[in-house]
Amino acid sequence: MITWVVIMFVAFFSLLMLASVKSYQKNRSSQEFMLAGSNLGVFLGFMTFSAALFSAFTFQGMPDFFRQNGIGAWIFLAFSDGAMVFFILWFGRKLRRKAREKGFKGVAGLMTECYGTRWAGYALFFSSFLFLIPYAAIQIRGISVFFDAAFPQFLPRWGWSLILVVLMILYAEIGGFKAMVYSDAIQGTILLVVLWLIAGTCIHKLGGLQSMFDQVAAAEEQLLSCPGPNKLFNWQFLLGSLIAVVMIPVTQPQMTTRLVVMKNLRAMKKMAYAVGIFAILVIMATIFIGMYGAVRYPAATAQEFWSKALLYDQLAPVAGLAMVGLFAACLSTTNSQIFALGNELRSMLPGHEKRVMFITKIFLFIFAILVMIFASLMGDQIALLARVSFTGTAMIAPIVLSGVISRHKPGKELIVISFIALAVFLASIAGLVPSQVGPLQLDILLYLFTFGATAISLLVRRYADGKRPDALTTQ
Amino acid sequence: MKNSKLLWRLCVAAAILIIILTFSPLVIAPGKTTPSLFGMPYTLWVSILTTIALVVLTYLGSKVLPDEEEDNQ
Repeated sequence: MITWVVIMFVAFFSLLMLASVKSYQKNRSSQEFMLAGSNLGVFLGFMTFSAALFSAFTFQGMPDFFRQNGIGAWIFLAFSDGAMVFFILWFGRKLRRKAREKGFKGVAGLMTECYGTRWAGYALFFSSFLFLIPYAAIQIRGISVFFDAAFPQFLPRWGWSLILVVLMILYAEIGGFKAMVYSDAIQGTILLVVLWLIAGTCIHKLGGLQSMFDQVAAAEEQLLSCPGPNKLFNWQFLLGSLIAVVMIPVTQPQMTTRLVVMKNLRAMKKMAYAVGIFAILVIMATIFIGMYGAVRYPAATAQEFWSKALLYDQLAPVAGLAMVGLFAACLSTTNSQIFALGNELRSMLPGHEKRVMFITKIFLFIFAILVMIFASLMGDQIALLARVSFTGTAMIAPIVLSGVISRHKPGKELIVISFIALAVFLASIAGLVPSQVGPLQLDILLYLFTFGATAISLLVRRYADGKRPDALTTQ
Repeated sequence: MKNSKLLWRLCVAAAILIIILTFSPLVIAPGKTTPSLFGMPYTLWVSILTTIALVVLTYLGSKVLPDEEEDNQ
């Protein structure tokens, strides 16, 4: 297997270097470096969006989620992604219109313009920072656990993390956003191919689809229906996940930015349904890997399951490609998150271009270090940790949604509402507030509160502004 | 233009209906595994179909949603 791992990594790094050289230009403006000139075509746009969305969380977290909690994991992510791509059609159009009116350097900067106060930008940056750092750390954690299982005692886990973080920083600082887009295209292709190669092997080893599900039923029948053996997939959990996932393009700046940098609306719309098709294909493969794990490794730890199902039960070339695929997925997703944080910071920094770029690059480095520290502290429940990250960022959705869709200047009360929701959600993670209030889960309650309050605020302001002759001058 | 708006609203209504159906006992009925399709349990294959339906709606929506922005510039 080692030979194949080396061959695949040499091929992968050669492609990355090619992408870096192709995208490297001296004296790039910060707009060119951070947003690739906002001129992405359909293929690169769809691949970079998909690669930023699907990561180690999909590669490792989803098979494990299916294995432990059953087929409801499909609704948790794939169905939610289907709803998200539909939502992108509507939201992306509004977002691009607003970005054209106000200018776009980053979402935080755009919100500062929309609200006329820097607090809107700070709120967005704060929530992104708070949840993207742990989310990026999930990827690093996933890969370090996986490589540690594949090559025990070769390096400590933090050693694998360090290698990835150093590569990530080098690649991002040299190539910029354009290089990341190319690496995303490479990663997306590898991810799709390798997941189906592994899934095909899993189906074959269990004697076909019918036989696979028969064996799952014999092992643990509750895996084949909702809410699953751990009673996780009740309607509230699934609905909360749907809202959090649908809000990803609104609240996660690496995704929002990818809607704006498409070269035109037509390309963005094509990108939306292409991402939907990609999501179905990728997540479908993880069902079969998870079901295979439920039959063969029902009591194994996540680490044992990953190393056996993704590596040791596979042919050597597939195992080699799996290692590269996971590494690539991790690299591109983490890069996009760190880069997005840098871009959000840049969008709020005043001053000369060179100074702004210098500060941004320093902070890219600092963010990467923070990610590494988090990665060494967190657990292995990758899918659930990702959901916490999605839900946390979704609490800030009213700010961005109102800023983007409202033709009137949104009220500052929306910033306060989002902060209250965010604070309560953080308190619930810390165990200071119960995660269930009466019959409702806390996240559902917070969504009701934030979206309800946002609707009221927008309606009241629309009514009040309708009486003012200068009502729409903020556009 | 008027037709496009109507068709887009129909797409939105259909998407909302699919989401409601998927979160109803019609799809996520506790413990329901039959009828199966290609060996897949009921909730799985039906939710795969509803996901495909959402992506098809996204395709249809992309055709009817007006393109009035920068494309015309």
